[in-house]
Amino acid sequence: MSASELSTVGVLGGGRWGLALVTAASRAGRAVCFCTRRAEQAVPEGVSVTTDYRVLSRSCTLILVATPSDVVRDVARQLGDEVDGSHFLVHGIRGLSGEGLVPVSAILREETPCRRVGALAGPAVAEDLVAGRPGVIAVASRYPEVTQAVSEALGSPTLRVYPTSDLLGAEWASALTGVLLLALGYARASGLPPALVAGLLTRATHECSRIGAAAGGEEKTFLDLPGIGDLLAAMGQTERPEVRLGELLGQGASLEDARERVGQRVEAPMLVPRVVAFARERRLRAPIIETLGAVLAGRLGRDEAFKNLMEFKG
Amino acid sequence: MGEAPIFHFNDERESIVTEVVGRVTRGARDPSMLLNDAAYHELKRLEQRPGDERAEYLMFREVARTARKMSEEDRRRKVEDLARFYAQDVAGNFNPRVYALTSKVLPRALAALLAPMDVASALRSTTLLQKHLVTQGPVDAIKKLAKRGTVIFVPTHLSNLDSVVFGFALEREGLPPATYGAGKNLFTNPLLSYFMHNLGAYRVDRRIRHELYKDVLKTYSCVLLERGFHSLFFPGGTRCRSGVVEEKLKLGLLGTGVEAYVNSLRRGREQRVFIVPATINYLLTLEAATLIEDYLSEVGRNRYIIEDDESTQLSRVVTLVRRLVRSSGSVVIRFGQPLDPFSNRVTEDGRSVTPRGRSVDPASYVTRRGVAVPDEARDAQYTRELGEAICRSYARETVLLATHLVCGAAFARMRDAYPQADLFSLLRHKDEVFLPQDEFVRRVADLLELACAQEDREALVLAPGVRQARPEELIAEASRAMAEYHTRPALSPTEGGFMLSEPSLLLYYQNRLAVSGLGFHPARRSGP
Repeated sequence: MSASELSTVGVLGGGRWGLALVTAASRAGRAVCFCTRRAEQAVPEGVSVTTDYRVLSRSCTLILVATPSDVVRDVARQLGDEVDGSHFLVHGIRGLSGEGLVPVSAILREETPCRRVGALAGPAVAEDLVAGRPGVIAVASRYPEVTQAVSEALGSPTLRVYPTSDLLGAEWASALTGVLLLALGYARASGLPPALVAGLLTRATHECSRIGAAAGGEEKTFLDLPGIGDLLAAMGQTERPEVRLGELLGQGASLEDARERVGQRVEAPMLVPRVVAFARERRLRAPIIETLGAVLAGRLGRDEAFKNLMEFKG
Repeated sequence: MGEAPIFHFNDERESIVTEVVGRVTRGARDPSMLLNDAAYHELKRLEQRPGDERAEYLMFREVARTARKMSEEDRRRKVEDLARFYAQDVAGNFNPRVYALTSKVLPRALAALLAPMDVASALRSTTLLQKHLVTQGPVDAIKKLAKRGTVIFVPTHLSNLDSVVFGFALEREGLPPATYGAGKNLFTNPLLSYFMHNLGAYRVDRRIRHELYKDVLKTYSCVLLERGFHSLFFPGGTRCRSGVVEEKLKLGLLGTGVEAYVNSLRRGREQRVFIVPATINYLLTLEAATLIEDYLSEVGRNRYIIEDDESTQLSRVVTLVRRLVRSSGSVVIRFGQPLDPFSNRVTEDGRSVTPRGRSVDPASYVTRRGVAVPDEARDAQYTRELGEAICRSYARETVLLATHLVCGAAFARMRDAYPQADLFSLLRHKDEVFLPQDEFVRRVADLLELACAQEDREALVLAPGVRQARPEELIAEASRAMAEYHTRPALSPTEGGFMLSEPSLLLYYQNRLAVSGLGFHPARRSGP
């Protein structure tokens, strides 16, 4: 398809991430239709703004969904009335929903007629995209034409887009890396030496990849951008909400208190007990994540937790 | 709407073959590779049976010798020759007179086969088979869909009797006949061959593995679908060895569904394609003993064609069928919800509907700005998801009969007796475990209760009468049925209970419970 044929890129959701995707697509030279409830937002030139899903779906084939995870099902259900089998839906939402740990792409498939779905999965963060700092981002879909469309929509001299076909793996890796970021913050605030933090996180990445494989993803995706890539990025970033929340917990704050101070919605603490249950059911070894779960639930103090891990036999 | 298109198959046969040959030839990206690949595989195959098929052997030796030196044009011509050679071999035959005759006499003929001692009364009772074969599911909706587009039936596959039984069920329910690919080896069995040959079956030689042959087969299937011939695929690929309901499918032929649909849109004449999953459920499986043995033997993993199983022995077929007619409802065919090639449910008026109940235009999945676009990678993915949807349907529509539940209870007793044993050592304990009647009854009752709960959640189906039956009755029916058919009894009645005599047969029948989690799963090596 030649550049002149490229259609308008749709972005749904007016939060930080939505605005970042609008900016990236605009920088890539694409026309953008931005569907947001916040009409007062400043947007790059040439971006059309709407609140109407019908306008969005009529003007775009590719729609990037960037709503908060807790409303994605409702949003998708309403969007489902307007889209048909021709639309590509790609979300940038970290998280696995409910007790069943349902990936967001599965919610999009349940709630809309769309089959061609995908996910963005790190490590670029919203601030970098907005500022136009060079970065990379992974996009996952089982449909090559979807990853191709996202490459064309977001790729620019300052943003490189890496495709993968392992959608499920990318979504699990992205969600579980959120858990590791929490652990990173916690370990740091507890004053553990960097080599020990690295050791724990590396072993925890193995645990995550086993869990992700049991869920139907590929282990190698955890060693790629959606997993290790995102984790390494967070090492140098101070403002990742998951890391911040972990730090506050490590300093002794209660979960409610820490949440309030972070201000943003962080899925990871809710995810941990469900991931622990998932691993137990399938008899997967995950001592580090289990320990983190016990700490979050208040069953284990910090010192005991590290003692347990250092003396763990298995 | 007149008759199903298959009634005019013979008029179209030549034009179908020509179309297949043309498409395969035009679509050949690398004729040289196709020729060498074909020659290599064919020579290897034919060398094993010198004497037979001598002319074929010489033909392929000539191809192997000359392919390299040919001009590009000659190579393409050679591909065309070979494609025609295979297409002629594959193309079936449909004889309307035989069909009409068969549908009139089939119940009687089968009945006569079942009860040869009393031919006269069997012939009077055309309803005999009616009672033994139960058909369930949205038959009326499927009938309506068959008038709107092409229906692809995709049943589970346990036995060589499947195509005969399924064909009979279609006929009895007033559904149009379906064409299907049957293994060439089956055409050597006079009984099965008789039914298949004139009922539209096309021949698939599974010994031939090269690309050109696969292209011809897929193209043949695709052309039939585009022309509206209802088809029957066994997407498991081969008879299921273990008895576990299929959890993974072969997608090659299934993929011709979406391909045919896209082609029809590109020609500007939409030919809808509807996929109908179905389960075929037997109280007793004709080839159970051979199949489970094959599953368990290490060599069996790669064995694709069994030349010498029970279905080639007329006496075994007769014994089985005689046994089956003693229990009513001993074969249950259950149709699932029809789907479009994009895994959407289809209503009886042909609308594709999403899980939230919205209508969606199926063409939207393959068109860009109003034009249908071919895309192999996309369609392969649609087909993969369709395969997953079909497997979910299989799990929901699996019908459990007495043998499955009773063997499930007995096999659970085996596992309790040797909790540390792996599957293979467990199966060696023949005639060692005794199951007292009262414990057997309790175990069957417990299992039945769990199965009823799953049926209430629509996760599976119990055969007619099973839900109401007392556990004692289920045990009696299953043990009697197995004893009368299988040469080695699975359960031997002993004072006060049963000796568990043949654990591998218990495993085979209980495997029908594996996917629902009610029984041991042999591939995952885990169970309740």
